[in-house]
Amino acid sequence: MKNRHWIQGLQFLSICLMWAFAMGVLVFIVWLVLVAARWNDALNWTLAISLVMAPVYLTVAGTLTYVFIGLKRGAPKRDDEPRAEDG
Amino acid sequence: MSEQPKEPRRSRDEELYRSIDHTGPGFYLAAALLLVVFFFGAFQYVNQLRTGLAVTGMNQPVAWGFYIINFVFFIGISHAGTLISAILRLNNAEWRRPITRMAEVITAVVLLIGGLHPILDLGRPDRMLNIFMWGRLQSPLLWDVMCITAYLAASTVYLYVPLIPDIAKLRDRGTRPRWLYEFLSWDWQGTPRQQEVLQRAMNLLMILVIPVAVSVHTVISYIFAMTLEPGWHSTIFGPYFVAGAIFSGIASLMVVMIVFRKVYHLERYLKPVHFANLSKLLLVMAAVWFYLTFSEYITGFFSREPSELDVMMYKLTGPYAFPFWLMVFLNFVVPVSLLSRRRTRTIPVILFVSIGVVIGMWLERLIIVVPSLSVTSVDFPSHPYWPSLTEISIFAAAIAAFCLGFMLFAKFFPLISVWEIEEGRELAIRETSERIASYLPDDEEGRSTRAETVPEGTG
Repeated sequence: MKNRHWIQGLQFLSICLMWAFAMGVLVFIVWLVLVAARWNDALNWTLAISLVMAPVYLTVAGTLTYVFIGLKRGAPKRDDEPRAEDG
Repeated sequence: MSEQPKEPRRSRDEELYRSIDHTGPGFYLAAALLLVVFFFGAFQYVNQLRTGLAVTGMNQPVAWGFYIINFVFFIGISHAGTLISAILRLNNAEWRRPITRMAEVITAVVLLIGGLHPILDLGRPDRMLNIFMWGRLQSPLLWDVMCITAYLAASTVYLYVPLIPDIAKLRDRGTRPRWLYEFLSWDWQGTPRQQEVLQRAMNLLMILVIPVAVSVHTVISYIFAMTLEPGWHSTIFGPYFVAGAIFSGIASLMVVMIVFRKVYHLERYLKPVHFANLSKLLLVMAAVWFYLTFSEYITGFFSREPSELDVMMYKLTGPYAFPFWLMVFLNFVVPVSLLSRRRTRTIPVILFVSIGVVIGMWLERLIIVVPSLSVTSVDFPSHPYWPSLTEISIFAAAIAAFCLGFMLFAKFFPLISVWEIEEGRELAIRETSERIASYLPDDEEGRSTRAETVPEGTG
């Protein structure tokens, strides 16, 4: 039971890390756009590339989150899980 | 996807778990040898860090050598996996089932290794951090960073998602470390809802991964094609690189399949028909590669532009003539002459041809990268490039890392997708039953007898 809590904690952490990575990439892209705007350095191209790249990371992170949550919700209740009347 | 058994039971696919359940002395011996090669390469890299790029064969004018050649080569091989796997899945090619997992593992491992190569090429790798502060997103170099990272993320997810049912099987078998399989299986029990979620995610990833994979090698070609360097400034470099990547990818996939088939006794799963089908694909790609190579050189030759012609002659008749003609021989003459006849399309011959194509494609990367830099348009003597011991040992270390990564994966996960094999069997029975039922008379209400003949819960 204790082990199971640890594993659930790790699973939650992995979702957080995955989104931290995706958001980190997005922040990086936004930063590069700001740098390009500040130095007037081919801003249009920078924006075009950003619009292509950013959705890929979001889609990958979104798909994995969908899988993780979908699998958890779709799993049958375990015998060792506390029932509602247990408080 | 079939229902997961609650209780561990002996599966008819028990041999697929052999690499996980049994670790023989051969595994440790191979791992030790590969580790020696890897650490020797790592030692040489540390030496390069301390001494600088002077320990490499690179100098002016050839400032890109082995590291960039290997970068393009490894990223090309990564197309073995996800792209081939996604295309076969999307087309519902039934023979894909024992192949896809290996292909996906190649992608994930090779991308990790190949993606690090540009860093090896830097004398001061700490300056990579400047990209985070002052990177220019309009530079093809940064497109590369973004594309490879996106491809690595998508490929890893694309490897992991179809692996979940097999991880759950390992969890139910009580394989150690149990916490790892428990953690990675996300409570997979094979319920209809879970199957639906997994199938949807796989469909989405299949569609996502194909354009990402194509974009990666196109963007790598742009690093060369966006310059005005003779021999590089070409409009067909994008498709040329993508075709070459798929070509080398199929060849490496077959090498890996044949080696692991022998090592883990997977003859029952990786049958001659799989190699025959893949070798036909390889044959088609050999023809495509030759067509694109011919187009690339003939347009350059007809333009008679002096600097372009200098580079071309340097490749065709100069110091790089031997690797050039060996490349043509290995990439076109050998595959076409050996794979176009059914009689010679045997597994040993396919292995020979595939190894030849892998070498030939490495030579192609050498032919693309180095001669354009060797022949300068300014008043500077031309220099053929020779790699140093440092570069050769780091290349060997990269190959060792690839083998180790693959072996490590095989130690923890099945190299052939167990649930997909089971699903294939189930589907075969169902389709045969439906076909036979369609010949039989309908019942009195006009319904087909299909329902009575379809076996439930097989596999």
